[in-house]
Amino acid sequence: MVAATGKDSPTCHVAIRGLGLRRGDHWLFRGLDLVVPRGRFIAVVGPSGVGKSSFLSCLAGLVTPTEGDIEYCCLQRGLHTPANFQGHTGVVFQHNLLVPNSTVLNNVLCGRLGRYPWWRTLLGFPRADREAAFRIINDLGLAPLTHRWVCETSGGEQQRAAFARALFQEPELYLADEPVSNLDVYLTGRVLGILRQESLAHGRTVFCVLHNPELVERFADLVLSFDPADPAGWKVREVHR
Amino acid sequence: MSPEPANSPPVVALPELKWHERLNVFTVTLLAFLLAVLASLPALRGSGRQLDYWANIRRFLGYFFPPDFSVWQETLRALGETFQIAVMATLFATLLSFPLAALGARTIAPRWLVLPARLLMNGARTIPSLVWALIGVAIVGANPLAGVIGLTFYSLGYLGKFFSDAFESVDAEVARGLRAIGADRVQAFQHGLWPHAKPLVISHVLWMLEYNLRAASIIGYVGAGGLGMQLASYYEYYAWEKVATVLIFILALVTLLDLLGEWVRGRITKKLGGGRLGGR
Repeated sequence: MVAATGKDSPTCHVAIRGLGLRRGDHWLFRGLDLVVPRGRFIAVVGPSGVGKSSFLSCLAGLVTPTEGDIEYCCLQRGLHTPANFQGHTGVVFQHNLLVPNSTVLNNVLCGRLGRYPWWRTLLGFPRADREAAFRIINDLGLAPLTHRWVCETSGGEQQRAAFARALFQEPELYLADEPVSNLDVYLTGRVLGILRQESLAHGRTVFCVLHNPELVERFADLVLSFDPADPAGWKVREVHR
Repeated sequence: MSPEPANSPPVVALPELKWHERLNVFTVTLLAFLLAVLASLPALRGSGRQLDYWANIRRFLGYFFPPDFSVWQETLRALGETFQIAVMATLFATLLSFPLAALGARTIAPRWLVLPARLLMNGARTIPSLVWALIGVAIVGANPLAGVIGLTFYSLGYLGKFFSDAFESVDAEVARGLRAIGADRVQAFQHGLWPHAKPLVISHVLWMLEYNLRAASIIGYVGAGGLGMQLASYYEYYAWEKVATVLIFILALVTLLDLLGEWVRGRITKKLGGGRLGGR
């Protein structure tokens, strides 16, 4: 088992045991063992189609792995499966998954749906939440687009809105699937810098799919790489700075 | 010719699809429709008698001209009542359709609930609006409320199906994504599915209102209020020029509603269209 800490350590956050996922007649990955301490930034790398997004979907509880299991260790609330940890998982989806005919503000506010029962959000969000959401929108340079429909914004703006939604959620764990694929150099640094800060300052663990090796070396603590030729050939290494 | 790069994949022939792999929903539906057309050709045979169709059309349409506008006041009053029946029936049908449509949508409700909900909607659609109006008259007597009741249940079958289809046809990925970040079922529907379905739902409601307006003009035949009563008496006395006046009033109102619907649909699709093409 690859680990930077023991599974029973109080700092353990994610414990993955013997994880495997099969698509049709071939395995994407197999026998994946990984124990991740709280507050680490893990870059997930590998060529297209190797199973990075599927791995993140397993972590998010959206896909049931063919074998193995995932456990989240929560300091206050004990152990959780991905399915019942969903309110604490902030996901930046590869295709953003924003509502096109709703405003940027409303989309960002959706990050906190898990905090309230449905009847509390039926007619809108509390004013404090709306203001907090706007602060994040403003920080990411989207203030002029606050009340615009998402479909009226550019691809890069939509990606930042999706990131803002995850930030606004204040989750314990971030799962970001290529969160900077549509961003320029400055914004790429800004978004990954914020994720890095989230892990360092708030102890929030980050799994982030990245393709750029420079960004991996600059922001990640651990690198999980998948091998397209060998489903069991995944590797984990630490990044030394 | 330049040499092949070392890591390029081997050259292979273009894979051909087998005949059954070329079949898709569109081609199968088209084929089924063509078969249905062939089977339905006998319907075009007519009575077999030697009739001068054109002379019949000319003679009958001639009865309608010139329209007799002397009945404009009672027509306007009955039109107002017809409009009220249509609006109230559409409102009640829309409100009742939502839960039923949600239960009938495979993307929202569990499988065991979908079939009974769909059966209920099919049943409501199968009974003609005139029969529903008769049921209404039997319950509350011959007045506009009977029309509201009749058209509500008839519309429920249609709107329920339209809404169900709308909920199923829109992209459910966003709703699934919201569930993944902690939203419950109602929240995922409200914030993830409903905004996608909203333009379709508005469009269907406007269509239903327009339909109900036309239907409400007929159901008066059985005593359910509105223009139908007036039309029935004109038919009875062969007052076709007065019927023409009533039809002109209905046409004006339906056209007005159609224009409103077009304008709303246009506004929505224009706004959404920009996004689908990849933003600004």
